[in-house]
Amino acid sequence: MSDQQLPSEKSMAKMNKYVEKYLEKTGTSRHPNEEVTESVIKGLAHHVDELGRPLCPCNFYPDKKEELERSREWVCACDEMKIYKYCHCLLFVRDDGLPITEYLPEGHEGKQIYGVVEDPTPENGRELRHKSDEYEASH
Amino acid sequence: MGQTQAVTDSEFEAEVLNSDKPVLVDFWAEWCGPCKAIAPTLDELAADYGDRLKVVKVDIDENQEMAQQFGIRSIPQLLVFKDGNEVDRMVGVVPKKQLSEKIDTHLS
Repeated sequence: MSDQQLPSEKSMAKMNKYVEKYLEKTGTSRHPNEEVTESVIKGLAHHVDELGRPLCPCNFYPDKKEELERSREWVCACDEMKIYKYCHCLLFVRDDGLPITEYLPEGHEGKQIYGVVEDPTPENGRELRHKSDEYEASH
Repeated sequence: MGQTQAVTDSEFEAEVLNSDKPVLVDFWAEWCGPCKAIAPTLDELAADYGDRLKVVKVDIDENQEMAQQFGIRSIPQLLVFKDGNEVDRMVGVVPKKQLSEKIDTHLS
């Protein structure tokens, strides 16, 4: 068990509310293993307390503050979620617990792990889909 | 049931790089959901392979040196070491069958 402090109730409430709204907006579901969702929300809330922004807790950053100065790429909802509807943190998934991968570029690790996972609600989400070319050119 | 062993930055060389058997290293963090999801699979692998494979985990929040040295980004990230060298790398909640197939290629 890590000795990290638990996030504040205020940040937990803020992130729980945000996640509920974004699930609805994107037509995605919570992971069937509630421990997965709870962990990620705690991680996001901890980053709100520590950094002021909900930085994705499923990445390693050599310097978190520098990461936020560099880009908002990994602030939840991250660019991959907004462009491809893919959440590698498994916070926004299908009801079977799989992350949506069908819009990811070929060779992306998400497609390699999970194969092609279709989006059951293609009319929802992907609010930055028009930025996919720009994103791929920079990665 | 086998158990993965927690390894720190200072123990990494002795436990991983100088290990006399292949090592599967899980770079993880406390508040990473997919890391929680894959943990039981890693315990199962530790039990399945017994003395043929060492399975260890590195908490990246507390052991940033190794995470940085091995260029870890997305977690969980699983690295396989053999004779002190990294020989394979997988990212995410890799299914047990896929993990076993990869590991098997390094056990000969």
